[in-house]
Amino acid sequence: MAQNIDPVNGSNNSISMKDGDGPTSATKHQSTSKRLQQELLTLMMSGDKGISAFPDGDDVFSWIGTIIGPQGTVYEGLVYKLSLTFPNGYPFTAPTVKFVTPCFHPNVDTYGNICLDILKDKWSALYDVRTILLSIQSLLGDPNNDSPLNGQAAQLWSDQVAYKKLLLEKFQDTKS
Amino acid sequence: MAVDEESDTSPRNSTGGENTENKRNEGRGEEERAFECNICLDTAKDAVISMCGHLFCWPCLHQWLETRPNRQSCPVCKAAISRDKVIPLYGRGGSKEDPREKLPPRPQGQRTEPENTGAFSNFGFDGGFQMSFGIGAFPFGLFASTFNFGDPVIRGHGAHGTNPANLEDERFLSQLFLWVAILFIFWLLVA
Repeated sequence: MAQNIDPVNGSNNSISMKDGDGPTSATKHQSTSKRLQQELLTLMMSGDKGISAFPDGDDVFSWIGTIIGPQGTVYEGLVYKLSLTFPNGYPFTAPTVKFVTPCFHPNVDTYGNICLDILKDKWSALYDVRTILLSIQSLLGDPNNDSPLNGQAAQLWSDQVAYKKLLLEKFQDTKS
Repeated sequence: MAVDEESDTSPRNSTGGENTENKRNEGRGEEERAFECNICLDTAKDAVISMCGHLFCWPCLHQWLETRPNRQSCPVCKAAISRDKVIPLYGRGGSKEDPREKLPPRPQGQRTEPENTGAFSNFGFDGGFQMSFGIGAFPFGLFASTFNFGDPVIRGHGAHGTNPANLEDERFLSQLFLWVAILFIFWLLVA
């Protein structure tokens, strides 16, 4: 008898455990989307120049961001679109940020991947969409040429005139 | 499903309710926003404060510390931080319980571990119990079952008039089993 009863109990236990996991992941999901909505509000109220972001369609976990090249740099006035994908563990884990508009930059590869420490090991739960976009905006004008993803851009960076010429050519190519 | 609803409605809510949300935020003012958790951006619940002076919900900070157990640093200023280096905040009317004593939402990896070991130890205990019972009771069970076997057959004979040939066979079988059982018990006693 004991043999008959206990496996049933055991399976009941495991089912209830699984049920128990459901709500936790749902609440996690909820707190993540709640925080993202908060961020959207602050982003819209802050009125930062040159950056904007908005959820891509109905999915609050994937956003499209826009960065305008900072003044006084070769990127001045160029508009770049980026995709931001937020994991369930956000803000405890960093979102995935990529350039959608091809970007000629020492720290951006041809697929749009960005090499930025705060998106990797220097990530902090305090960072949000606004600080990420501001960081990428300042990265445009202040690249880290020691660990380039785009060697050509890193080499050319010292010659700002030639760099700007090639940059504008490449940017026009993406537009046409 | 709830998740789908959430992602469906949230962008609409945030765009449609933008004005009311803005008013609400303005109404809250800078003073109240100073008491928001640095991680979830909501008013801090089960609030704790780090040695460097930054305010968090304990569940939020706990999860942050869990995600990087090797490099525990304050999300705001990256100063060293740990479970024992935060101070719980007790407001008026709030719970006087140390928020760190409450069970914070643990990551899933930790949740599955006790479930597995629990199920395993249960199983092991039952198996052991079953085995010891089985060995002790086996011959007696056999003995009892032979007597039971013979009994209904005799009653069946009276009531339904079962085929006498069958009856003979079964009687023979039951006697055989009885002798086998007696021999077995005898063997057990001798050995």
